[in-house]
Amino acid sequence: MNASFEEKSAWIQLVSMVVTLALYFFVAVRMLAHGVTDLRAFAAVFFVAVMLMVIVLVAGHVVAAIVDRPTDPDERDRLIGWRAESNASWIVAVGVLTAVTGMVLSVENVWIAHVLMVSLFLSSIAKYVFQLVYYRRGT
Amino acid sequence: MARPKTSIRNEIRVLRFHQGEMTQQDLADEIGVTRQTVNAIEGGKYSPSLEVAFRIAQVFNKPLEDVFRYVVKPAAGWR
Repeated sequence: MNASFEEKSAWIQLVSMVVTLALYFFVAVRMLAHGVTDLRAFAAVFFVAVMLMVIVLVAGHVVAAIVDRPTDPDERDRLIGWRAESNASWIVAVGVLTAVTGMVLSVENVWIAHVLMVSLFLSSIAKYVFQLVYYRRGT
Repeated sequence: MARPKTSIRNEIRVLRFHQGEMTQQDLADEIGVTRQTVNAIEGGKYSPSLEVAFRIAQVFNKPLEDVFRYVVKPAAGWR
C-alpha cells in the first residue's frame, strides 16, 4: 500500500471507530427497545466497546509499524489533519445544540447522552474520512 | 471579474535525475518529510511551505526559482 504511516493510522482509527460504534449500538438499541433507560447499564457496554477499540487501535498500529517504518507527521500530515478536523467539527456543534434542545424539552438523560456520543463518534469518523480523501488527492 | 488560476510547477523530477537518480525517499530524508509528501510535491498536488521549498533547493544546490515556478493561467474574463 503506497500510504504513509499517518494515512495507515487514519485507516486503523476509522476501522476501529466504525467497528466499536456498530457493536455498541447493536447492543444499545436492543437495550433501549427493552425499555432500559438507566445510564449506568449503558456505561458498562460503552466501557467494553472502548476497551475493544483500544485493542484494535494498538494491534493495528503494531502491525502497521512492523510492515512500514513509522514516521513522525510532517507539514502535509498536519495540514491534512487540521483541514479534516475543521471540516468535521460542525457535527459536534450540531450534537451539542440538539442535546441542549433536548434538555430544554426535558428529554430523558439516556437520549441526551446518546445524542452527544453519536455526534462525537460521527465527527471523528468524518474527520478520518476527510483525512483519507485528502491523502488520496495529494493534499 | 474572475481571479486567475495559479499553480506552482517544479523541476524536482529532473533535478533528482541529474543528482544521480536520487530517490524520493532520499530527498524526503534530506528535507525531513515523508516520501509521500515528496511525491505529492513533485506531482504538483501539494504546495510545500516556504521552508521545505528552500530545503529542497538547498539539497540540489540551486536557487529557489530554478526549482519552483509560479504559473499564472488567465481565467475566463480576466485581463
